[in-house]
Amino acid sequence: MPGRIIKWIDQRFPLTSFVEHELTSYPTPRNLSYWWNFGFLAGFVLVLQIATGIFLAMHYKADTALSFDSIQHIMRDVNYGWLLRYMHSTGASAFFLVIFIHMARTLYYGSFRTPRELLWWTGQGLLLLLMATAFMGYLLPWGQMSFWGATVITNLFRATPFFGDQVVVWLRGDYTVGDATLSRFFALHYLFPFLIIGAVAVHMVALHSVKSSNPSGINLADKDNIPFHPYFTAKDFYGLGVFLIVFSIFVFFMPDSLIEPANNIPANPMQTPNHIVPEWYFLPFYAILRSVPNMVGGVVAMGLSVMMFSFMPFLDRSRIPGGAHFRPIYRVQFYLFLLDMLVLGYVGYIPPTNQTLLIGQVATLCYFGSFFLHPFISKAEERWMRARGLPPELLALFEKRPPREKLTREGEAA
Amino acid sequence: MKTFMALLVLCCIASSALASEAKLETVKVGIDVRTVERGVDAVMNACRPCHSMKYIKYRDLVGFGIDKQKVDTWRGDQPLDAALLAQMSESDAMQAYGKAPPDLSLMAKARDGGANYVYSYMMGYYVTPEGMPGNHIYPETKMPDILGISAATEAAQRTEIQGKARDIISFLAWAADPHEQERHRLGYYVLGYLFVLTFLLYLVKKQIWSRLK
Amino acid sequence: MKKETLSVGDCGDRRNFLIKLTSVVGGAGVAATCVPFVASMNPSSDVLAKAEAEVDLSGITPGAMRTVAWQGKPVFILRRTPEQIKAAGASDGGSDPEPDSKRVQNPEWLVVIGVCTHMGCVPNKEGPGWVCHCHGSQFDDSGRVTRGPAPKNLEVPPYRFVAGNKIVIGKA
Repeated sequence: MPGRIIKWIDQRFPLTSFVEHELTSYPTPRNLSYWWNFGFLAGFVLVLQIATGIFLAMHYKADTALSFDSIQHIMRDVNYGWLLRYMHSTGASAFFLVIFIHMARTLYYGSFRTPRELLWWTGQGLLLLLMATAFMGYLLPWGQMSFWGATVITNLFRATPFFGDQVVVWLRGDYTVGDATLSRFFALHYLFPFLIIGAVAVHMVALHSVKSSNPSGINLADKDNIPFHPYFTAKDFYGLGVFLIVFSIFVFFMPDSLIEPANNIPANPMQTPNHIVPEWYFLPFYAILRSVPNMVGGVVAMGLSVMMFSFMPFLDRSRIPGGAHFRPIYRVQFYLFLLDMLVLGYVGYIPPTNQTLLIGQVATLCYFGSFFLHPFISKAEERWMRARGLPPELLALFEKRPPREKLTREGEAA
Repeated sequence: MKTFMALLVLCCIASSALASEAKLETVKVGIDVRTVERGVDAVMNACRPCHSMKYIKYRDLVGFGIDKQKVDTWRGDQPLDAALLAQMSESDAMQAYGKAPPDLSLMAKARDGGANYVYSYMMGYYVTPEGMPGNHIYPETKMPDILGISAATEAAQRTEIQGKARDIISFLAWAADPHEQERHRLGYYVLGYLFVLTFLLYLVKKQIWSRLK
Repeated sequence: MKKETLSVGDCGDRRNFLIKLTSVVGGAGVAATCVPFVASMNPSSDVLAKAEAEVDLSGITPGAMRTVAWQGKPVFILRRTPEQIKAAGASDGGSDPEPDSKRVQNPEWLVVIGVCTHMGCVPNKEGPGWVCHCHGSQFDDSGRVTRGPAPKNLEVPPYRFVAGNKIVIGKA
């Protein structure tokens, strides 16, 4: 009977061939490590956020007089409301953690390089959508941090040339963040996840067109590919199990560690908390904003700091294939960059003093320096490596590759 | 990429170290019904004249397991579904203290340091050399030293007041997070299940990949 | 977790069993995860707390009626005069016959849900009994339908006297 149904569908819709093409015979490099699990995890978290979000929206009220109370209603009175809400608030952090690791993997293994530029850029678009969604969602509980976070971020648009103040008022629909702002943020917070789904679909089409990169950093011969299903479904589900354990520890035993204490105080437009900080996932970018003494400059620097990753395919001038594994200087650069992110995150977290401001400025310079100097560093690295002689494992990879691919790769990179 | 993992762990440790910056006393919050019940009693006498707890209703106390008769004496002629509101109106409080006393429903979660902060604050009153009241944790506070810790000099008296403060904190901690015990209980089941499932998924992964060798 | 589609020919029964077991355990987890989502749509505890309403009857004069809310619905509480009690006891009503004594706990107090059994409108107190203006049903002072499209008498909610002049509507 199921066979007959599938046959009926196949005559009208390419179900079987679709599943075959994208899953049961989709060729995947067999040497993918567990760092390649995080795209799947991001997809899972997206589904979890949408599911918990829809059920939370059934109880939430987007009204400045009611929203704080409605969150308390969810936390105290709604059956398992506390579980849904803590899953959703923890899920936001999990989403960023998973995406950051996913991006770090891409940078480390050079997965953004030819021919995966569009894949990388759709991913960057997803990051921007995710940031916007998270930012708007953070206003909804209408706590002190919600209010002042939204106030500060909408104020960033004062940097718009000529119409700065009008743009800010237009965004808020009010002179300050108010009822109009809350309602529109709720509407958009509900809409954006569906835009993300669309963008994920584009991301997947791009991925399935150029196929997965792999730790060696060069395209493998056909014999080194295995079907996605069952090998990587099994691997992804195992990874999901590990992820869920970590996620559950946060949800059930330390959910409030991811919620700023001040957000348990209702929004008060008349009083700013002594120390306002964004959520941890925005801290490095926030530190860059604070490091630039000029307002417009700070906003531009912060916007640019997020956009910089998109330029990586142009900035990386090295023709040495493979990721950081085969490129010692790039590897050092990668870790220094991560360290710099952590320093920026720390600087963004603590209240600003002259000393930390200086640290933040140095770290900001390092941040942009590592991007802007990258063309020269990568070029120099290539020269240095060729002079020294390529490592034997890389030479072996060169030999294994079919000659045609070698040709196109050299041609494109030149 | 192993170095990356190490950096991540380092980051987590650093951030948790950051969180515990203030010099707060740590208080062990009681989660048993009797401690919380004593806490409600103390709050009803000491705090409720000025502070409301608008997210807590009398029926919540009964639901937690506090003696119905005690709840009935606290609520007087108010219905079970009524919230624990302050006896003093907000405008009177504004006149008396210059600002409205905050609602206490979420107090145990609404300050850096949580319950430890509130405990340290209540125990932080002292008498300045000029004979004026002061507070180590929150010097600008408008609240009087309601438990009388600054006047208590004998050790026994101080211990008694500290015990009372601990009862109050226990109630406030429950009020801020009434589902905590249920959450922990469910959490152990969920984690137990996930360990079993993940182990099975690990075996499945291993078996399927063994076909490649 | 669609692991059933695996070809298992070359690996024997153990994996087949392992995959089936894992699918069942995983499926149970997915099913259990649905519970909080479904449960969250049931009435929350503050709604359930309104399942009971306490009503103070003092202040209702003989012959007067008060409407109170119970579970969001209007409940008519009518303090009947001896004449009204007599009139109600004289007949068994109209199309849905029921003796008055079965509809009251204390003949002086009639407690009925003020929702017309026809289409759910709220009847008005007019003359002896009630008239529903939506479709013209009429009810007597025992809440029994005497005329019109309403198929049944006004419903009597569960209630109990907790003191001489206090009732609790709803079940504990």
